[in-house]
Amino acid sequence: MKSLDKGQLALSLGVAGIGLFFLVGSFQIPDAAGYSTVGPAVVPRAVGIALLVCAAFLVYEVLRGGFKNHDEAAERELITDWIALGWISAGLILYGLLIEWAGFIFASIVLFLCTARGFNSRRWLTNAIIALVLAVGIFSLFTYGLGLNLPKGLLSGIL
Amino acid sequence: MEVWSLLLQGFQVALTPVNLMWALVGVTFGTAVGVLPGIGPAVAIALLLPLTTKIDPSGALIMFAGIYYGAMYGGSTTSILLNTPGESATIVTAMEGNQMAKRGRAGPALATAAIGSFVAGTLATILLTLLAPQVVEIAVKFGPPEYFALMVLAFTTVSAVLGDSTLRGLTALFIGLGIGVVGIENQSGQARFVFGIPQLADGIEVVTIAVGLFAVGETLYVASKLNRVAEVIEKIKGSIMMTKEDWKRSWKPWLRGTAIGFPFGAMPAGGAEIPTFLSYATEKKLAAHPEEFGKGAIEGVAGPEAANNASSTGVMVPLLTLGLPTSATAAILLAAFQQYGLQPGPLLFETNAALVWGLIASFYIGNIMLLVLNLPLIGIWIKLLEVPRPQLYGGIVVFATMGVYGMRQSAFDVFLLYAIGLMGFLMRRYGFPTAPVIVGMILGPLAEEQMRRSLSISQGDPMVFINRPLSGSIIAITVLLVVGPWVWKKLKKAA
Repeated sequence: MKSLDKGQLALSLGVAGIGLFFLVGSFQIPDAAGYSTVGPAVVPRAVGIALLVCAAFLVYEVLRGGFKNHDEAAERELITDWIALGWISAGLILYGLLIEWAGFIFASIVLFLCTARGFNSRRWLTNAIIALVLAVGIFSLFTYGLGLNLPKGLLSGIL
Repeated sequence: MEVWSLLLQGFQVALTPVNLMWALVGVTFGTAVGVLPGIGPAVAIALLLPLTTKIDPSGALIMFAGIYYGAMYGGSTTSILLNTPGESATIVTAMEGNQMAKRGRAGPALATAAIGSFVAGTLATILLTLLAPQVVEIAVKFGPPEYFALMVLAFTTVSAVLGDSTLRGLTALFIGLGIGVVGIENQSGQARFVFGIPQLADGIEVVTIAVGLFAVGETLYVASKLNRVAEVIEKIKGSIMMTKEDWKRSWKPWLRGTAIGFPFGAMPAGGAEIPTFLSYATEKKLAAHPEEFGKGAIEGVAGPEAANNASSTGVMVPLLTLGLPTSATAAILLAAFQQYGLQPGPLLFETNAALVWGLIASFYIGNIMLLVLNLPLIGIWIKLLEVPRPQLYGGIVVFATMGVYGMRQSAFDVFLLYAIGLMGFLMRRYGFPTAPVIVGMILGPLAEEQMRRSLSISQGDPMVFINRPLSGSIIAITVLLVVGPWVWKKLKKAA
């Protein structure tokens, strides 16, 4: 008997949570079936039940020694670099916070720097220059060339 | 023959200077995203979906399709030189082609992959040309129950039959179906899972999901798991030309690969993975020197590459004639049609014949362009492989967020993108396939509509799916596909 895989168990319970979310939520949809005899709540309810069933089978597999046909040992061997994950997460969250007031170019530079740092690059200045060129390039191509709007933010007087 | 006159009309559309330019842009961009790790055709097309408001439908669809099959050519370059398959369908090429490259035969390996892809792509396009009108003729007789049954079949093959685990595939599918449910429902106008958030009322955009799962999820995974492993790019030594011997050993595998690959793609089963493995096994069995396999046998690159390309062209048969996507990229192509209010299917061949046949004609042209791009100009793409990871992925996420934010100018979508990216990371980590999520969310709402229509025809009797001979047989096939392998295993054990 192998030891219980906590990560897999947590993930399976997460699937159950999503299933529960759809199942419970489906009861808040007014289900006026009309002519078709099947109302708008039926599919979400079926999805919720199906996910709960999947989750039950996943838990069963975990209790029986882990997910089938999944090389957990190989995954474990590749140790997760949480710092890398943290840098890139920070970049994306900052982007979401910055995009509206700082504008596309600044938000993109921050995101690029964080991602590159996540991949262990510490050449901040070089990366910043690459990011600037890239962001200005994309901005010009999309706003002037294709007419899509990207926020100018702090640079709204200049661009 | 009517087909040829229709195709001729198609060429008149595809050969206009503007559409030639879109084809060239598509295949060039497609090769690039195929070569680059971390970004694939699904993400590339998803990111360019907002352009549909600016370009006319033929131009945009020709470009998107170019990205789709261009990426197949580019993917083999990376597999051969880097031994990290860009996608599951190039695993075999990565094994055998990389072995050839290690032995100083990178040139011929790239050549047999490119020429094989061209041969297979062109032959498969001819088959598509001939087959599509036939399928359309049958498909016009389909009613809602048949469409619903076909969609269930597609769901099943994408999630349960392909991949390592039926259970994890189905889980991914239902998550996709759940995502597809969010938003204002089409028929009743009822809001589902919107919670008063205006961004959710319009539904979750496929761009956010595709880019989150594939680009952001992949970036998170590579950064946290694979960045310690250094990559070795094999150099091309000597000529990329194939010798007479290479040609002699390649042409039959190309043809056999096409014959194996096309039917797999053309059936609503999809998946380019199985035909590549089948082709590899076939070539090994038929080879004069089977002992060379695993050490760089040219047949082992030529056959699977042809199979991969033929099956990806074959996927166009169910997509165009039935509106049935059987891969993540095909699902996003379907989304591109929907952006224009077009629904692929038999009706489209009547109402938009010029568009459909222009698209098919562009495949012939695109494949010729790709042959040139991937043989004489191969050097450019190898340069792309040399972009260091930090800057490559930095660029990928900047493009990814730009596409997602720019779609409807909402920071909410950026946070959603991050959440989906985390989900993609976990799915990759625990061996859940991601393609069923995309197919589920795109095809789900269409399936729901067909189910409702069927049930209103039958006045609520669910037997309508089984009683009609056509939909009944499709459902039977679906059940066999799921239960069959399991029963087979039990029987084998018992014997």
